[in-house]
Amino acid sequence: MKINVFGNTVSAMVCAGCLAETGNNVTLIGKRPEEIAEPGLVELLDNQLKSERLTINDSLDSNAECHIIALDPDDCYNAKLIANQLAKSALRDSTIVVRSNFSIGLAKELAQTANLEFAINPDFAADGHAIQRFTRPDRIIIGTSSEKIREQLKQVFAPFNRNRDVILNMSPASAELTKYGTNAMLATRISLMNELASISEVIDADIEEVRLGLGADKRIGRAYLYPGVGFGGDNFTRDLERIKLLLPQAHQNGGNSLLQAVIDINENQKEIFFRKLWQYFDCDLNGKTISLWGLGYKPHTTSIESSASLTLITAFVNQGCTLKLYDPFALEASKEWVHKHLNNHQLQQISFHTEMYEATENSDALCVLTEYKAFWSPDLITLKENMNTPIILDGRNLYNKYWVEDNNFIYYGVGR
Amino acid sequence: MKQLPSYSVLEELSKQAKERHLASLFSDDTNRFEAFNVKLPGLVLDYSKQNLTSEERQSLFDLAEEAKLSDWIEKLFNGEKVNHTEGRAAGHTFLRDLAHPKSEVSEQWAKMEQLVDRVHTKQLRGYSGKAITDVVNIGVGGSDLGPLMVTHALKGIRSPLAPELHFVSTLDGKQLQRLLKSLSAETTLFIIASKSFTTIDTQSLATTAKEWIEKHSSTHAGTMQHFIGVSTNAPKMKEWGLLPEHQLLFWDWVGGRFSLWSTIGLTIALQQGMEGFNAFLQGAHEMDVHFRTTPFKDNVPVTLGLISVWNINFLNLAGQAILPYDSRLKYLASYLEQLVMESNGKHVNRKGEMVDYRTCPILWGEVGPNAQHAFYQLMHQGTERVMSDFILYAEVVRKNERNTFHHNLNIANCLAQSSALMVGKTDEDPNKDYPGGQVSNTLLFDKLDAKHLGMMIALYEHSVFVQSVIWDINPFDQWGVELGKKIALEILQKIEDKDTEGLDSSTQGILKSIWNVQNEN
Repeated sequence: MKINVFGNTVSAMVCAGCLAETGNNVTLIGKRPEEIAEPGLVELLDNQLKSERLTINDSLDSNAECHIIALDPDDCYNAKLIANQLAKSALRDSTIVVRSNFSIGLAKELAQTANLEFAINPDFAADGHAIQRFTRPDRIIIGTSSEKIREQLKQVFAPFNRNRDVILNMSPASAELTKYGTNAMLATRISLMNELASISEVIDADIEEVRLGLGADKRIGRAYLYPGVGFGGDNFTRDLERIKLLLPQAHQNGGNSLLQAVIDINENQKEIFFRKLWQYFDCDLNGKTISLWGLGYKPHTTSIESSASLTLITAFVNQGCTLKLYDPFALEASKEWVHKHLNNHQLQQISFHTEMYEATENSDALCVLTEYKAFWSPDLITLKENMNTPIILDGRNLYNKYWVEDNNFIYYGVGR
Repeated sequence: MKQLPSYSVLEELSKQAKERHLASLFSDDTNRFEAFNVKLPGLVLDYSKQNLTSEERQSLFDLAEEAKLSDWIEKLFNGEKVNHTEGRAAGHTFLRDLAHPKSEVSEQWAKMEQLVDRVHTKQLRGYSGKAITDVVNIGVGGSDLGPLMVTHALKGIRSPLAPELHFVSTLDGKQLQRLLKSLSAETTLFIIASKSFTTIDTQSLATTAKEWIEKHSSTHAGTMQHFIGVSTNAPKMKEWGLLPEHQLLFWDWVGGRFSLWSTIGLTIALQQGMEGFNAFLQGAHEMDVHFRTTPFKDNVPVTLGLISVWNINFLNLAGQAILPYDSRLKYLASYLEQLVMESNGKHVNRKGEMVDYRTCPILWGEVGPNAQHAFYQLMHQGTERVMSDFILYAEVVRKNERNTFHHNLNIANCLAQSSALMVGKTDEDPNKDYPGGQVSNTLLFDKLDAKHLGMMIALYEHSVFVQSVIWDINPFDQWGVELGKKIALEILQKIEDKDTEGLDSSTQGILKSIWNVQNEN
């Protein structure tokens, strides 16, 4: 089949590569980035380009039977340009398949502009597992009212749907809500765990023990039960905000909305270490030095979007703290952020470090915010020598708290 | 006043004025509005519905000249000690002169701006480290009425960063207790607003608030994060334990009822942001410049003040109704009750002699459409002659079909009432007869925002000052409120001692009845 795939995203490249690999003639309309972090993707693209089943081009193949849109979820502008292009040059019986997580309703608008039939086919892949999730999906959702597209996509996805039939047919709106609902559900689990973690601290329970107990229940399962300093990243935050806008007006800002509560708990959670230190130092943090390890919203990302580190930097700087920051990937993004959001005086209070222990020198507290492998087993002797006050705040409950305490550190986890 | 040459002229003129019906002035001159209104950008004062001819008006201006009003205005603006009984200037106009701020004022505004910024950026923290979300202003009189009135009026255009604002003033404590039930201690900030920082009303409430926070906060440092003081009394604020950056000063040259322009306006700044607070000051400053530089005949505050003198001293009206046709001005009447009656409710002149003429009227009011269903009956058919200020806004808020309809309905009611009060209606059935002849001003503003509200308040302040100059009284002291405070302390001691000796028999009787009830329970 001749297929156009639109987008510069990992989602677009994985889709284009995998469909070329299964014999389709794919044109990727987008730009291949110089560096690709996604495992296996460089090889996949190179092989398919060599086989000539994949071409990367500026313009679309006007003979394509299917147009897959996998743009950035916020790239409404280019989506509309593409729809206009398709209106002019696409085959009249070709189809649009939207994999981008656009605002609800946008896909339908695009199809109307292009005057083509459409389907929503959400991409559920997580970074780092994108190829595997495309080729061995646990579900393929096809949201369309067109029998023709249903048959067409069944054929396109057939190589990935052999073990058992994982295709779920539904309406476009249901498919959109399934995608949003997935993130909302996962976010809700995390906020619930964070709420239980705060109760845990009050009644002297250990949320890590509670987590294992909960996860052992098959109805609950083990995934997304990790408490911490809040989820970040653009996807969760954006999806929650967007889906919230579809709630009745009265629920959007009030306590009557579960999703608002999920967001509020999460925002509150990002400041949890600020509050612990604020109380420890009896409401006077002026002149204290605070070290942050892990600035991205998760390990191995350069993205600091909605990350707890940003909330903490702002809170500590405003109390007159000096901050020492370390992250193996997200240091540049953090530098950019502080230059944009802090004033000159506040910038003087911040230093960036490329070595993790250097960032703890003369520090009054170390906040560990992400679960980089290198953070799991720190050299407590060096830390002890470096720090003014031996306080470790463990935002991902990485450490055996007794080990840390036995080494004469003051330990704060989340919910333990 | 009675010695001024124009006084006897006006007295003579008032005889014919008392004889004529207000409506006749309109039938004699169909263009009366043109000659009896004054304008400023954003504001029209229509005083055509006053029982006043151009000849009488000229005599009022003469009276003002003879009373040396211009000199007094200069004394006020030059910072002379116009509050002679307390040996102080009345410097509220200095606070609004943003282009020429006094250094001590700029310093406090910078401090206030920092606090506003910390609250708005959610970086002002309570004992637990959570950001402040609710602010409770504890204050009474000038430390309450002005900020309450203004923040209620401007609530619809508050900054999206503004915290929730609450006001408590009454020393019985029930208002505070009810409020505390709905608030969370870890995110609540109290502003203790008290010029002297000794007023028992405010101090007693502040102590109750502090005990409430102490129940939740385990350390003294934690507790003190929840209090900001605004006062002229720095030593007392320090003694109370307020953090240095939580102490805002104002000065004894700012009267309590004029203090909303000072750091007492912190709640206004929290709601509107410093930009909005400055617009509020700027509106008042524009009125100041107008008052100081405009000839009497085009001068809005002078005209407003002299109309009151005419009504009170020559037409013998003793009541003044404040009737805003806008629910956002719900607290305007309470605010003006203090501004007007605490300022001009005086019976001795500047030499300390008893005056032999009437001074301040009894002022009251209510949002117009509500008042129509309450005390308008008295104005239409009662035996009292009163003067009214109707206040109206031209702009439709959030314009759409329904809002435009409501706005027009409101305008129609305002104009209908002022017209009906003026014209009246004769009827053979005495129950349906309306004598009319009730005088009124109509103040029409373009819109209700921080700037126009600042203008309006300054307008009333200066009108009060104009009247005080004609009456030769000091509008800036308030000795009358001291006696009750003193006796209250004596009675409190008696209550605590369960001893009524030396009290008058009425007080004794009431106290004994109270104790009987308390003992039964």
